[in-house]
Amino acid sequence: MFEKILIANRGEIALRIIRACKELGIRTLAVYSEADVDSLHVQLADEAICIGAPPSAESYLKIDRIMSAAEVGDVDAIHPGYGFLAENAHFAEVCESCKIKFIGPPASAMHAMGDKNSARACARKAGVSVTPGSDGIVETEQDAVKLARKIGYPLMIKAVAGGGGRGMRAAHNEASLGPAYHAARTEAEKAFGNGDVYIEKLIVNPHHIEFQIVADQHGHTVHLGERDCSIQRRNQKVIEECPSPLISPGLRKKMGHAAIKLAESVGYQNAGTMEFLVDNEGHYYFLEMNTRIQVEHTITEEVYGCDLVKEQILIAAGARLSPHVANATARLHAIQCRINAEDPEKNFQPSPGRIAFYYAPGGRGVRIDSHAYTGYVVPPYYDSMIAKLITVGATRVSAIARMRRALDEYYITGIKTTVPFHSAIMRNADFQNGTYDTGFVDRVMKSDNFEIRPTPTRLHE
Amino acid sequence: MELKDIKAVIDLMKKNDLSVFEMEKDGFKLKLQKGAGDQTVFAPPANGLLGSAPPAPSMAPAPVSAPAPAVPETESSASLREIVSPMVGTFYRAASPESPPFVDVGKEVTEETVVCIIEAMKVMNEIKAEAKGVIAEIVAESGKPVQFGQVLFRVR
Repeated sequence: MFEKILIANRGEIALRIIRACKELGIRTLAVYSEADVDSLHVQLADEAICIGAPPSAESYLKIDRIMSAAEVGDVDAIHPGYGFLAENAHFAEVCESCKIKFIGPPASAMHAMGDKNSARACARKAGVSVTPGSDGIVETEQDAVKLARKIGYPLMIKAVAGGGGRGMRAAHNEASLGPAYHAARTEAEKAFGNGDVYIEKLIVNPHHIEFQIVADQHGHTVHLGERDCSIQRRNQKVIEECPSPLISPGLRKKMGHAAIKLAESVGYQNAGTMEFLVDNEGHYYFLEMNTRIQVEHTITEEVYGCDLVKEQILIAAGARLSPHVANATARLHAIQCRINAEDPEKNFQPSPGRIAFYYAPGGRGVRIDSHAYTGYVVPPYYDSMIAKLITVGATRVSAIARMRRALDEYYITGIKTTVPFHSAIMRNADFQNGTYDTGFVDRVMKSDNFEIRPTPTRLHE
Repeated sequence: MELKDIKAVIDLMKKNDLSVFEMEKDGFKLKLQKGAGDQTVFAPPANGLLGSAPPAPSMAPAPVSAPAPAVPETESSASLREIVSPMVGTFYRAASPESPPFVDVGKEVTEETVVCIIEAMKVMNEIKAEAKGVIAEIVAESGKPVQFGQVLFRVR
């Protein structure tokens, strides 16, 4: 078993990893930027090393400084969390060459599935259906037009090196194809340093369904069911639930089987997620694979009764899949709301700054994964998520009722948060009926009966 | 003390790489300091020791002030600048255990002076002062790890 692990991340996921390490009796080394000196994960780690100035490019993305810290701290393994270097195959290779275990898949699997284009090719080879689209990179606008005439509109132009909903443009007809093609290329070049794009048929108002894969280093691969992540705003997930109200047991079996087949075909190890788009007729199409632990791993943990981050560490240390993970079954229903430091009444404008007062909900079936606390200063340099609120219930109805109750209890002052936005979604009839898709948030925010009610002031000054 | 004596002292200081010269005699006090100072202050001769010339400001003060402006006796830490680590690694004061340290307290440095080595991933990185002045304090400990932004030296 590892003696010391370096956490190459920040915020709530760094805290999550430190908690798993502490429970396994493993010492922790946090690396942090100058903006995160008072962060909770830095305070709770056994050791901490400052690796740079606030901007991510000068700290959390600095492979050389992270490896120096790993050497100085004499660690056995590095957990990359999500985002930052988590899906950077080169970083995984550097760890390998330094004899420090990268807690995640082998670099070869990251190469195969990290490039969206190559991932589609692997899926086709494994007999998993993919969305109709280009066979590879679309080099020119003329090629785009030719392909579009074959597969029809609407379609989506996507960056091969993309992620987080960026480097994407939709085109609904031939007239808009040219501008969309060039806009996607430009954004991709700027955001990822790679302007290559591929094209997919745009499935109108699909459901985003993803399967959790866990594989040990001895060839044993299982899936832990699906998560429904259709509730998105600007291609960013905001609410996730497990299981999906859309997926029947038969469809779950088919898709789960496809996910395992594809993961095995690329020699996948450790935790990963297969993403699919599903239409209302039960047709599913492979979208992409995330070769890391995900933000919403939490709801799978609650429903299937496991600790996925601990399992990641154990797998990386050479253990076989824990029996309770290998034989896990879905027992409950879980929902997660991502609480962001954003103002929902001002078009979700970021709201960094000092949290004057912080009270998180508790009680039966409520889980908070957060690094926030009273007096914490939310820095402006990173993503705006400050907490994940997860509720669990025996049924979907009770999980929703619990989420409404928990959101009402949540009290954060000093900054604006999306708590009132989530409350409004919980009150929505379509959400309660389980009839929603990726177009849901846009539609519902424009409707008349969507009302964001600010949290009433609670304390008397 | 005459002007030529003061000039001689300055030459001696330059030749021997000295940074501070102080003397006090018969009510006459003189302090000469090399490097970027904050103020230019003179202790005027109480009894005209700098010669019988009338108080013509052009003569005595000019040659003395240019190379070595005197500074006030008390020194605030605000005038100390910090050399901080630009990387994560292990700090060494010398190139090898047998070599002498790159700098000591009192050593004059310029932007290009190598002040220490930070070893990272088996690579020995020479760290430059990037400041002009005199080493006032050695803050980091040789052989110990340093993090980004950690103070290594203070420079006057």
